[in-house]
Amino acid sequence: MTNAEVHEKLTGVFRSVFDDPELTIGETTTAKDVRGWDSIAHVSLIVAVEKAFRVRFTTKEVQALANVGDFIRLIERRLK
Amino acid sequence: MSFLSAPFVLFLGVAVAAFEVSPARFRPMVLLSASYVFYASNSPSSALLLLGVTLVVHRAALAIERSRTERGKLRLVGAAVAALTLLLAGFKLASALGPWFGPGRNRMPEGVALRVLVPLGLSYYIFKLIGYLLDVYWENLPAERSVVAVALYASFFPQIVSGPIQRAGTFFDQLGRTIEPQPASVEAGARRILFGLVKKIAVADRLAIVVDSIHAKPGAYSSLELLLGAYLFALQLYADFSGLTDIAIGLGQLFGFKGPENFELPFFSRNLQEYWRRWHMSLTSWLGDYLFTPLRMALRDLGRLGLALAIIVNMVAIGLWHGMAWTYAAFGLLHGIFMVVSVLTLKRRDAFFGRHPLLSRVRRIAAPIVTFHLVALALVVFRANSLGHALEYLAHLIPAAGAGIPLTRLDPRLLSFKPGLLLGVLVLAAIIEFVNWAMRQPNWSQRFLAAPRAFRWALYYGIIFMVLTIGNSGQQKFIYAQF
Repeated sequence: MTNAEVHEKLTGVFRSVFDDPELTIGETTTAKDVRGWDSIAHVSLIVAVEKAFRVRFTTKEVQALANVGDFIRLIERRLK
Repeated sequence: MSFLSAPFVLFLGVAVAAFEVSPARFRPMVLLSASYVFYASNSPSSALLLLGVTLVVHRAALAIERSRTERGKLRLVGAAVAALTLLLAGFKLASALGPWFGPGRNRMPEGVALRVLVPLGLSYYIFKLIGYLLDVYWENLPAERSVVAVALYASFFPQIVSGPIQRAGTFFDQLGRTIEPQPASVEAGARRILFGLVKKIAVADRLAIVVDSIHAKPGAYSSLELLLGAYLFALQLYADFSGLTDIAIGLGQLFGFKGPENFELPFFSRNLQEYWRRWHMSLTSWLGDYLFTPLRMALRDLGRLGLALAIIVNMVAIGLWHGMAWTYAAFGLLHGIFMVVSVLTLKRRDAFFGRHPLLSRVRRIAAPIVTFHLVALALVVFRANSLGHALEYLAHLIPAAGAGIPLTRLDPRLLSFKPGLLLGVLVLAAIIEFVNWAMRQPNWSQRFLAAPRAFRWALYYGIIFMVLTIGNSGQQKFIYAQF
């Protein structure tokens, strides 16, 4: 999967989790930029991403994420 | 030494002077010494415990970083976090059970009283240090080499009594840029301290008199009086704790440190999730990162049940963090249940109101009112002298249960307040909340700072005069200084 494909698929997951069909995300997007992205929604997002990409993350990996860019790189690492 | 005492004012003067005249490289050491003088003046043995815990955590963080294997790191961080948690829980439990072993209960020979006091600020510095260790383990932060830095982080006197719980990363960042407090920061700090004093002395301590008399004997009051008492305690706690936070943040600014905020107009929240993001934020965001998220991750395969469990454990932890008492556990459990219902129904509620624009407008006004009532209700349990008192209070809140007392009686003498004075305090509370709002608007604070100096200083002196004259000489302790 290319970086663009991961980005596109991830955008779809974000839109469905946060119920916002127009939501766009970029490398530097953080929880502050997305309405409804609180600590409760955070793990729901992780679970949705795990399902969509058929991968599994550890708590440590999740805690190290600072922004969407980190998230994309983590998914890519896991897909390799 | 309380922040409100004369010795503290003297101590602060000396600390600021020593800090200002020292060369920058000695300033962390000066602050550390001041912090230990402050802490040891309360209890020298607690200071030894703090020092011991700090040294262990300093070494543990370095060991976690140095460990080569993931397993080794996990073992180290697990052992250190478990030890810190046990220490905190042990003290809280011993302090809660203390009275059981006292002479009055006949569990111990006459005259032998085992009275365990939780060391001042233990809950705050243990949480800071656990957060630091987990940040190092999660590789969000390098382990701090300097033992002075770690010791200052744990003991920093503006924050040790009652937070705010600053994250290690932001503290070390600021310490690294040590530490040249700008005159503007010092002035802002002094302003913030003054603001906190007004909240505490003119609002919280006044309301405390009414709230204390109601909670001493809730069965003796009418439903309306109990309802008023519930509202007033919510306001009292907010004024007390946010005032204490203002003072803590202001004290930090005197030394060039900016601590995290704890409150963001919480009583205007539209639901409980939002409320907990805007009330005691430094604690709830800490728990969100270091307890809720790991727990929720571990339970994620259980779906909604996992979510509900993680929320309830998190909220009960918030309750018990205040102390091992049934009232705090019940307070946490109540919020856990409220929160689970709110979280699980939010999407459906949003969809429903999306389809009914007229009702949606009503919701905009009703939602903060409903949220405030849920909060005030849970705070009745939080404040009650025992679980029995809490149940009595809640039972009498419901009209018809109060046999013999007119339901709508509102007797100022029984409540120990003068109607005019109470009204004045409430108006002042509203003005303070307006200032809280205005402080968050950039143009408002700039406009205030651009006002003529004479006007600003007249206002400061007016407030100082007011604090000194209405200040209750039998001053009350800060509520959150006991946790």
